[in-house]
Amino acid sequence: MSLAFSEDTRARHERMLARYPNREAAILPTLHLAQREFGHLSAEAIAYVASLLGFTPARVEGVATFYTMYNRKPVGKYHLQVCRNLSCSLMGAEHLIEHVAGRLGVRPGETTADGKFTLSTVECLGSCGTAPVMQVNDDYYEDLSEDKVDAILDGLR
Amino acid sequence: MPNFTLNGISVDVPEGTTVLQAAKTVGIEIPHYCYHPNLSIAGNCRMCLVEVEKFPKLQIACNTVVTEGMVVKSDTEKVRQAVTGVLELMLINHPVDCPICDQAGECGLQIYYMKYGLHKSRFAFEDKVHKKKVQDIGGQIVLDAERCILCSRCIRFLQEVTGTSELEFFRRGDHSEISIFPGRPLDNQYTGNLADICPVGALTSKDFRFKCRVWFLRGTRSICPGCANGCNVEAHFKEDIVYRLKPRRNDDVNRTWMCDPGRLEYKKANEARLLTPVVRENGGLKAEAWEAALSFAAFRLWETVEAHGAASVAVIASPAFSNEELYLARKLAEEVLRTPNVGFSPRSSGNGLSDDFLIKADKNPNTRGAQLLGISEEKFDDIVRKIEGGEVKALLVFGNELADFPGERTAELLSRVPFVAQVGTNEGAVSLAAHAVLPSASFVERGGTFTNHAGRVQRFWMGFPPRGNARGGIEILVGLANRLGAGWTFAGEASVFRAIARSEAPFAGMSYESLGELGQIAGGKG
Ligand code: SF4
Ligand code: SF4
Ligand code: FES
Ligand code: FES
Repeated sequence: MSLAFSEDTRARHERMLARYPNREAAILPTLHLAQREFGHLSAEAIAYVASLLGFTPARVEGVATFYTMYNRKPVGKYHLQVCRNLSCSLMGAEHLIEHVAGRLGVRPGETTADGKFTLSTVECLGSCGTAPVMQVNDDYYEDLSEDKVDAILDGLR
Repeated sequence: MPNFTLNGISVDVPEGTTVLQAAKTVGIEIPHYCYHPNLSIAGNCRMCLVEVEKFPKLQIACNTVVTEGMVVKSDTEKVRQAVTGVLELMLINHPVDCPICDQAGECGLQIYYMKYGLHKSRFAFEDKVHKKKVQDIGGQIVLDAERCILCSRCIRFLQEVTGTSELEFFRRGDHSEISIFPGRPLDNQYTGNLADICPVGALTSKDFRFKCRVWFLRGTRSICPGCANGCNVEAHFKEDIVYRLKPRRNDDVNRTWMCDPGRLEYKKANEARLLTPVVRENGGLKAEAWEAALSFAAFRLWETVEAHGAASVAVIASPAFSNEELYLARKLAEEVLRTPNVGFSPRSSGNGLSDDFLIKADKNPNTRGAQLLGISEEKFDDIVRKIEGGEVKALLVFGNELADFPGERTAELLSRVPFVAQVGTNEGAVSLAAHAVLPSASFVERGGTFTNHAGRVQRFWMGFPPRGNARGGIEILVGLANRLGAGWTFAGEASVFRAIARSEAPFAGMSYESLGELGQIAGGKG
């Protein structure tokens, strides 16, 4: 197996394990760590996490595919996740998604040719009070309008 | 012992019993998919919903422990509607391809649909979520993902019984799907059980696939002849062909499981069978009627005793034969032929693999029985030495091989004996060399008992009469003995077992009635 955590990540993982009551509980955070380290969770990455924790790859794959926040395919440098659930939709998310898609020239689920942006639609981001909402990598952008989104995208260029 | 009321019936149950288990004991059926008596409780199929007084919502019977005074109803309109609803939900994406499904006839969906469903589908076939069919996922199993109802029995089996966790649910919602991780097929010796516990046609047996519709099969209670563990099984057959073995529950022996090699043991009842008595004289082989073959063998044995003395005759018994047959073989040697030469070998050409669960290295079903009946292993080596020294002039062999000897060694040994008679079921090195082949019934064609590695004496039952011209071993032995003047009156395995219980200490006090379906430990325990 060629995939492996760096020294640093390995040490972080060791410290992290100590905080969980059992190996099962450590699957989710370990997957997050792996996603950060490897960019996305390939079959190889799943098998690596499984071997780290002492599970079969099937068990880890089962967990990884249940959640939507794990990327099974490579994503661009900026992962744009636009909420399309109820509150955001009431506040115009649909138009926002079309706008972003038009600007980038990709459909939701696709990545721009230069590998910079991946556009995804997601369910409620838990920030309905500031709808519509978009998450870019780890940051939230709230109370969005088309102008605001343009400014954000320009800033990411 | 809490007492509770189920559909108006008052029931006493041991502490800790669930409503579903309690219902079973009084013959009330509560439908269920995910519950399995030998697996942990998952409570995810929701088929077992019942009304419990004082609970606002329906409860799942499989995970509701009976408490004193509980009042439960499983026969109300509310329950019926709920169960029908659950069933409809399960069938939303089900392909309903029963005509090409091996499970048809023993499928949980078909059975419960007829009892609790009978609803019209509100989903067009084109609207269903389709998943991958006909996937070879390793072991003895084929997976059809779109037939799966997501009960998780298979996952729990692989977690809790084999500890190998090859199967998991991937994705979620109506895209949830059972599968293996790519490139990691089933890798354990117990995969066949998955087809048994899958309540639908998602996991089916590669070996049995499309061989026979299950409603044509009849079954008999039996014991797997594949090793010394003696797993309780059911043999399923149509006419005189056996199609499959399925484990039969015995929590003291195999719970509800059996191993993969054992599952294929049925083939011995179908393939390479000796089906007619054969006599070899003046260099030629001749099929004979039983009377002639038995008389020929008896005459040659008698002749040898007359000419060379009883010590020139030997009997090699086989741990693949029943207690009843072994007992008569010993009796024939000791009381009729009056030879000290009777022995057996537990060694066999099998792979000798074992694990710490069911599979035993001893690939014979009845080694312990032979030992308890006082047939000795040292005597076997002794007889082989005597054959090599030319002292054995006539030999009666049971089975199709001699210990773990390769075919050439068996052929060479037997060529040194002027007369060899064989009682055996399948062709092998022994039948090739024998001067009289007396074909005996397979394990599905006769009844009797085997004693497993732990000393448990267990019955197996006749499914159908011996194929072709084969005969039960008891009948063959009585035929030989009486032609040698024994005057035996045994008729059937029960009468022989009664004699064993009378004269053999380890079996004292036992009877077919006391053995029942699950057997008893020799020596009075269990
Ligand atoms: S494959 Fe069968 S046993 Fe496994 S979850 Fe699906 S229905 Fe249940
Ligand atoms: S463990 Fe032995 S007795 Fe049980 S099924 Fe396998 S071969 Fe047969
Ligand atoms: S619906 Fe978009 S944040 Fe809740
Ligand atoms: S049997 Fe009770 S929920 Fe499945």
